[in-house]
Amino acid sequence: MEFEFLVDGVTKKVAVEEKNGVFHIKQGDVEFEADVHRISDNELTLIVGGRSHEVLIARDKDREIVFVGGREYVLREPGEAAGRSWTDDHKGPGGGLKIKAPMPGKVIKVLVAEGEAVRKNQTLVIVEAMKMENEIKSSLDGSVKKIHVAEGELVDPERLLLELEAK
Amino acid sequence: MGGMKMFKKILIANRGEIAVRVIRACREMGISPVAVYSDADRAGLHVALADEAVAIGPAPAAESYLDMDRIVRAVRDSGAEAVHPGYGFLAENAAFARRLEKEGIVFIGPRSEALELVGDKVRARQTMEKAGIPIIPGMKSVPADAGEYIKAARALGFPVIVKASAGGGGKGMRIVTEEKDLGPALEAGRREAKSAFGDESVYLERYIEEPRHVEFQVLADNAGRTVHLFERECSIQRRHQKIVEETPSPALDDALRLKMGETAVKAMRAAGYNNAGTVEFLLDKDRNFYFLEVNARLQVEHPVTELVTGVDLVRQQILIAAGEPLALTQDNLRQRGHAVECRIYAEDPAANFLPSPGRILFLREPKGPGVRLDSGIYGGWDVPIYYDPILAKLVVWAENRDLACRRMAAALDGYAVLGIHTTIDFLKDVIRHPEFRAGRTNTAFIPKYFDGWTRPPSEEGELSLALAAAAIDEMGRRTQGGPRAKEETAGPWQTLGRWRIGGAD
Repeated sequence: MEFEFLVDGVTKKVAVEEKNGVFHIKQGDVEFEADVHRISDNELTLIVGGRSHEVLIARDKDREIVFVGGREYVLREPGEAAGRSWTDDHKGPGGGLKIKAPMPGKVIKVLVAEGEAVRKNQTLVIVEAMKMENEIKSSLDGSVKKIHVAEGELVDPERLLLELEAK
Repeated sequence: MGGMKMFKKILIANRGEIAVRVIRACREMGISPVAVYSDADRAGLHVALADEAVAIGPAPAAESYLDMDRIVRAVRDSGAEAVHPGYGFLAENAAFARRLEKEGIVFIGPRSEALELVGDKVRARQTMEKAGIPIIPGMKSVPADAGEYIKAARALGFPVIVKASAGGGGKGMRIVTEEKDLGPALEAGRREAKSAFGDESVYLERYIEEPRHVEFQVLADNAGRTVHLFERECSIQRRHQKIVEETPSPALDDALRLKMGETAVKAMRAAGYNNAGTVEFLLDKDRNFYFLEVNARLQVEHPVTELVTGVDLVRQQILIAAGEPLALTQDNLRQRGHAVECRIYAEDPAANFLPSPGRILFLREPKGPGVRLDSGIYGGWDVPIYYDPILAKLVVWAENRDLACRRMAAALDGYAVLGIHTTIDFLKDVIRHPEFRAGRTNTAFIPKYFDGWTRPPSEEGELSLALAAAAIDEMGRRTQGGPRAKEETAGPWQTLGRWRIGGAD
């Protein structure tokens, strides 16, 4: 079977075949065999060339987190828009610019109004989480096209806060 | 234990790992623990572990954990005789301590007068100076004449620091290295102080460069018997908040430790302090130390002291509050081995420590000899957005500092909190940093060596393994059915079907 995962924006292909309980893996130029034991839904152990690896797997709605060798790898579906982070949009070039919540939290202040001119680095919205106020700033000189949140509202990460228009 | 006066029931006016810590102490003492929880904390670990749990209102702390009326009502309703405040929330609130005293409920902490005194930074400074405790050299009051600042700055010697009288949290603070910068710094400090505290008074203190933050744990019973339980080194801080603590401090020798310990005891006696408290000092490069403040509560980092002294500080707090005389004597207290604590916060250290609440999808906690985990979380729990981001404290003990650092590094490697960002990866790099390993820690450590820190890049071999494991896991789910097939239809991971398999499309 062949699988595709998106890792840090790069699509990675993995082919796996099972023969007599041993898994043959081909990933890019790398090929290896793994003896696999499943401990639970979230825990696997792999023995590859005599080296033992414990792997933890956690699943979320739009991603899978794999923990191996003390490090986390985030795998997503190829072509999935959710794979793009807030910063991708934030850094995007001019035009209608979407400002999203960087973290879950509560909107404690909306400092601009629709149609208002804004300058680069001007604070637009303040989102608070865990006793820390996070100022969401404008990434450009322009104006506020539309505001999508109200003060007091709880927001999820990636939630659209407001849209800007470049000058 | 006298037995007669010991509490039967204690209410813990807190949440998270510290509530869990106090619940454990209660259980061991045969005391029934009562938890309180806000609407956001019904699923909290402390609620699950307590004997009784009382709902105290909406998620925002001001309407629940900080609401004295609701806490007092919960005490009355549950029939608890004493309240343990943990740290934060109402722990250092003198009005709360006074309120409980009036209601005939025991506050497990210092008496309200002592709390009031040490809570007022200017009064505390004056009290300490009068008692002969070294304080940071500086102006004693806010001058009427602007010329006084220049005179004072010259007398103190540059660099000096502008501080707000109403002070706190770094607001209004400005470091001045040259005389020509003093005027603008005073103006900026006044402006900031005015907007933060509504009071523009500022004064000058000598600026201690790259100090170490060394604090002493003190226990005092209600009759004034006072001992210290040695120091904690807390110099590793981000945004003026501690993240790694250890004891003994690599900066102290026996002579300095003795002197600082005696000073800490003297300071607490001067304040008329009882129960557990901590005296914070700044230690400069020339090994001069200065009184900074008293933390009138159980500290977050108390476990490192417990591991090297063998004393259960929460148990001591409860005994003292019940009126027991302190059974510990200074002569019998010893430091044995070395302990290090790492604070696990729900924050993204690669994004300027941005808070990272959300669901913990899977949790693997480290275990092993000399490893202690004070934790308030579990797998599947949603970390709420409303409270302090501390999740847990990983604490290790070993025979010496080097072994403790190795043990900590290994324990961090085996710690997985999947689903949210935490400080774990960052701490791995701090613990392994050569300057940290050499014991050269000061409050400038994080800004100096870890500014702009990012996670190490993917390692190709491991990434291949991760991909292989994910593919094998997925294949197992698709082909084997069984209990996993059920999850596939009910679980959130059904979107997997959209992945291309076997090159079929």
